[in-house]
Amino acid sequence: MIFKGRVWKFGDDIDTDQIYPGRYLPIIDKKEMAKHAMEGTTRAKEFRENLKPGDIIVAGKNFGCGSSREHAPVAIKEAGIVCVVARSFARIFRRNAVNIGLAIIQFEKVEEIKDGDSIEVNLKTGRIEDLTTKKVYSGITVSKLELEIMQAGGLLNYLRMIK
Amino acid sequence: MTIIEKIFSRASGTRVKSGDYIWANLDLVAMRDFGGPNVVREYKTYFDNSRVFNPEKIVITFDLHIPARNELVANNQNILREFAREQGLKLFDVNNGIGQHIIIENGLVRPGDIVIGTDSHMNLLGAIGVAGFGMGTTDIAGAMYKGRAWFRVPSTIKIVVCGEFQKFVGAKDLILYIVKKLKTDGALNRAIEFSGETIEKMNLAARITIASMVTEMSGDIGFIEPSGEILEFIGKQEDAEPITAHPDAQYDEIYEFNVDELKPQIACPHSPDNVKDVKELTGTKVDQVFIGSCTNGRFEDLKIAAEILKGKRVKPGLRLIIVPATMQVAKKAVEQGLYETFLYAGAVITNPGCALCTTGHPGILAPDEAMVSTSNRNFIGKLGKGAMVYLASPATAAATAIKGVITDPKEI
Ligand code: SF4
Repeated sequence: MIFKGRVWKFGDDIDTDQIYPGRYLPIIDKKEMAKHAMEGTTRAKEFRENLKPGDIIVAGKNFGCGSSREHAPVAIKEAGIVCVVARSFARIFRRNAVNIGLAIIQFEKVEEIKDGDSIEVNLKTGRIEDLTTKKVYSGITVSKLELEIMQAGGLLNYLRMIK
Repeated sequence: MTIIEKIFSRASGTRVKSGDYIWANLDLVAMRDFGGPNVVREYKTYFDNSRVFNPEKIVITFDLHIPARNELVANNQNILREFAREQGLKLFDVNNGIGQHIIIENGLVRPGDIVIGTDSHMNLLGAIGVAGFGMGTTDIAGAMYKGRAWFRVPSTIKIVVCGEFQKFVGAKDLILYIVKKLKTDGALNRAIEFSGETIEKMNLAARITIASMVTEMSGDIGFIEPSGEILEFIGKQEDAEPITAHPDAQYDEIYEFNVDELKPQIACPHSPDNVKDVKELTGTKVDQVFIGSCTNGRFEDLKIAAEILKGKRVKPGLRLIIVPATMQVAKKAVEQGLYETFLYAGAVITNPGCALCTTGHPGILAPDEAMVSTSNRNFIGKLGKGAMVYLASPATAAATAIKGVITDPKEI
């Protein structure tokens, strides 16, 4: 699984209320959810207007902390984000992201990557290349089991595939 | 091996150790009126009308918005009733009470089993040696189809408790004190095993109180070494055997506590680890008291409250709301005269369920009000914007209801 895309930088402790504000929890339609992705952050407007499918989020520590809402990874995935690179992920966000098939990878030196850079992420090997600066790094890949689920496009697809 | 390693080894068919990622076969999958309808929607989207993996191993409980308070909730409950009919699943409707307690009372699980469900406090099943995990919609939908879920095997913290509780001090005070020491992330990604002479003497209700609040330390699960009354309880189940750690078990950390000197504890707004001695808050005005929830809604909890309330009246202007965890608890409380005590004291008693653990139940607070609750969480906004929620034992809650201000039960 290799993703190539433009980077949206976010800071530390981006919680689920910033990723997907609580007032939209009653929404069931995933396309509708996508409209509110990252709406609780300071970059809400540009994110909504300029996001392109295939873009990548690069964030600091504890991404997705807060509530257990699955809406958070669903909204960013449906909005077009293909991968989230973060220094660390909150436990429930990590599980939910894997389960809905949103690619995630941990990377210590997120400060090296700048907003707007193009990067390439190899989920399996953990190789991260900043195509703008031509630097290559290595991230911490998820477990084999998590990777299989993400590759299948999420837990329910995965379970449907296996006999 | 620790208890959780033993359980996961059996359920995955391999010898596991902490840090491993595994698939485990599940013994029970639970969903409730809240969250359950979303599970059904996901299930139908991905698996159409396929049969669930095993109708005997799925249970639906209605414990949050019961009976339905508006049309949306009424419709949601019907989605579940219909799904239960289609698939032939057990459903405990609005007159039964809190899911996890129903699961225990009805013997739907045995020690060593693995259960996942839509509630954040499934782990209270650790009180009888069952590995319970709260999970999201996707996990539950997948589990209903395949009977499996994936896990990361946690490492374990051991907590040893000794000493004798003073009068009106008990399991809730102990677990609040432990949360204070370990903090809200103290057991993150880990399991806990509780043992020691104080724990050994505990009845089921006290064990449930302890196990339920492992969530408040971000723990995966908390087990209580089986002994005493629990062994009898387990013994009544066919082929059930208690499950204990192997002597070679490796622990991350070991904590020891002594309860001889422990005073009644109270968690102040807005975090369960913001814990103080009740004495330090004596005199703080309270508008409402809630006795119930999955943490303190059992018969023994109500009995302590009744002992304190007997022949007394709730302070005028204060509202006391009492809610038994299950119908079985409620019936026993009626038979033993507890309802009479409560009603004459001026309490409101409502039907069994989760009640004031979270919004959705009558009894929400105004923004500037304060409540003492026997529940497990006091995050801001959980029971009304800005309201101040304090967590305490049934004894402290009852004493506070009489005085109208936070009160150490020893002073009644
Ligand atoms: S009382 Fe609260 S925490 Fe307990 S099962 Fe009900 S909703 Fe969950």
